[in-house]
Amino acid sequence: MFLIFKRMWQVNWAEQWQYRANLFMYVLYWIVQPVIYIAVWTSIANAQGSVKGLSANDFVTYYMAMLIVDQVTSEIVVYNFAHKIQDGTLSGEIIRPIHPILTNALTNNIAFKALTTLVLLPVWVMLWLLYTPIFASTSWVNILLSIPTLIIGFFINFLLSSAIVCVAFWTQRVWALYRLYGIPVALFSGQFVPLQLMPKVIQDISVYLPFQLFKYFPTQLILGKLSGTQILQGYTMDIIWLFIAFVIFRWTWANGIKQFSAVGA
Amino acid sequence: MPSNSIVVENLSKTYQVPEREAGFSAAVQSFFKRKYKDIKAVHQVGFNIAQGEVVGFLGPNGAGKTTTLKMLSGLLHPTGGNATVLGFTPWQLKPEYLRAMTLVMGQRNRLAWDIPAADSFLLNQAIYRIPDDEYKQTFKELDDLLELAPLMKKPVRNLSLGERMKCEIAAGLLHRPKVLFLDEPTIGLDITGQVRIREFLREYNKRTGATILLTSHYMADVTALCERIIIIHQGSLKYDGGINDLSRKIAPFKLIGVRLADADSHDLSGYGTEVQNEEDADKRYIQVRAEDVTRVTSRMLADLPIHDITIADPPIEDVIEQAFNQ
Repeated sequence: MFLIFKRMWQVNWAEQWQYRANLFMYVLYWIVQPVIYIAVWTSIANAQGSVKGLSANDFVTYYMAMLIVDQVTSEIVVYNFAHKIQDGTLSGEIIRPIHPILTNALTNNIAFKALTTLVLLPVWVMLWLLYTPIFASTSWVNILLSIPTLIIGFFINFLLSSAIVCVAFWTQRVWALYRLYGIPVALFSGQFVPLQLMPKVIQDISVYLPFQLFKYFPTQLILGKLSGTQILQGYTMDIIWLFIAFVIFRWTWANGIKQFSAVGA
Repeated sequence: MPSNSIVVENLSKTYQVPEREAGFSAAVQSFFKRKYKDIKAVHQVGFNIAQGEVVGFLGPNGAGKTTTLKMLSGLLHPTGGNATVLGFTPWQLKPEYLRAMTLVMGQRNRLAWDIPAADSFLLNQAIYRIPDDEYKQTFKELDDLLELAPLMKKPVRNLSLGERMKCEIAAGLLHRPKVLFLDEPTIGLDITGQVRIREFLREYNKRTGATILLTSHYMADVTALCERIIIIHQGSLKYDGGINDLSRKIAPFKLIGVRLADADSHDLSGYGTEVQNEEDADKRYIQVRAEDVTRVTSRMLADLPIHDITIADPPIEDVIEQAFNQ
């Protein structure tokens, strides 16, 4: 199995490199968002002293930590896989004795991350020099504790998105659905606005939903803002949602593949 | 009698295809109320193929050949009937099954598009768990036959259709499958390439005892490789039997070719139907019923100034076309 991933890595890494120019632009676009949030929130916080108790430094550290969290937990399965269902190129992968999503699409995602990190790093360093943030309560313990949640968070996100992609077996196209999936992510993940600034009801609901598990929870964990109980609660939800996401994915895949019409091949 | 490696019973596949008239209002209507039409791509097809057999799967475009191959390889779920290959139900996609078979289609399929084929080959080696020495040996055999080495380092998208086809076939055979489903394996290849693939497949079949089911538009592929053919037309089985029996059953005719002293001056219509045949331009050909051959030839020999006479089966293409039209 290790050899499969190794060879698959070589193929996917080489493939990603083929389109590096396209990729770098895509990543720059992706990174611009949090940079804008930092600019906006820091100017508000500077003008008012703080926003709901968050200082300018809090915003900078929040979005800078979020950049890293997002880099680890984001996925591109809808970009690199959904079209294969629609145009039938999935045929060649289905009849290989390995799972197309849990091996190839997964490795492709990781290769993409590895490559885009090369773009992220200089941007991150630039932000550091620009804002000189102070990560006051971040400790090595926090960072170590966040690693498993980042990995689990990635898999929750990856499996849920893959389940959405599998809907393409029925509908051929999943872009609209994937956009819809972006709504709860925007509301409940804390990716765009720190959850503590959201209405209380949203904060309360978000605890039980998977979306903050791959954005807000690891970010706050890295920043050292969570109590022991909150960390334990987050980990518990991690395990529960990883299981649920896997079950949903398994179901959509197993039933979707029966609908596959292997067109054009 | 070797055991059957492919058993197909009443296999059916019906596609639901949305259909609408052309034009804007029809497009709007179909948004609210879609009409579907059932297309019976394959209808209650049944056959068995013994281990080690090489069978040609024939039929005009849209007959259901590829759909059948897709079901047998596990890509498609049938809407009715059953099939087992090597004892597996293909569409359950068990890894043990997928490791034992291959499906080669005339399209890009097994090779990553943007990188050299060599990388995809190595990936396949890992996926199919092929030991290094076995991989090297298989690759060498494939290379000898298909001259792959010069192609291995170019990105696949920069290969010509024929070059890509060679790589696709090789990629599909690296794991030495026991059952081969080949959909147009020689499409896009020049004559030398076609002959090479044929020789290779025959050799592979002989050496490994693999079962091969192939479709082809090149009749030469079929006549060179297959002793048995299965013909389907509009989703239904039309013929299943020996390629030599086909003409006897479907078109019980023989072709008599004669070279005459002064070729054009004789009227042959009294002996049988005169037909065009490009095989030998100096000869004229007539088609007669098989049981009349002896009588007609002796009459012709008596009546005409014949320099040369041949009696042959009609070209397989003609016979098959006749089978489709029945």
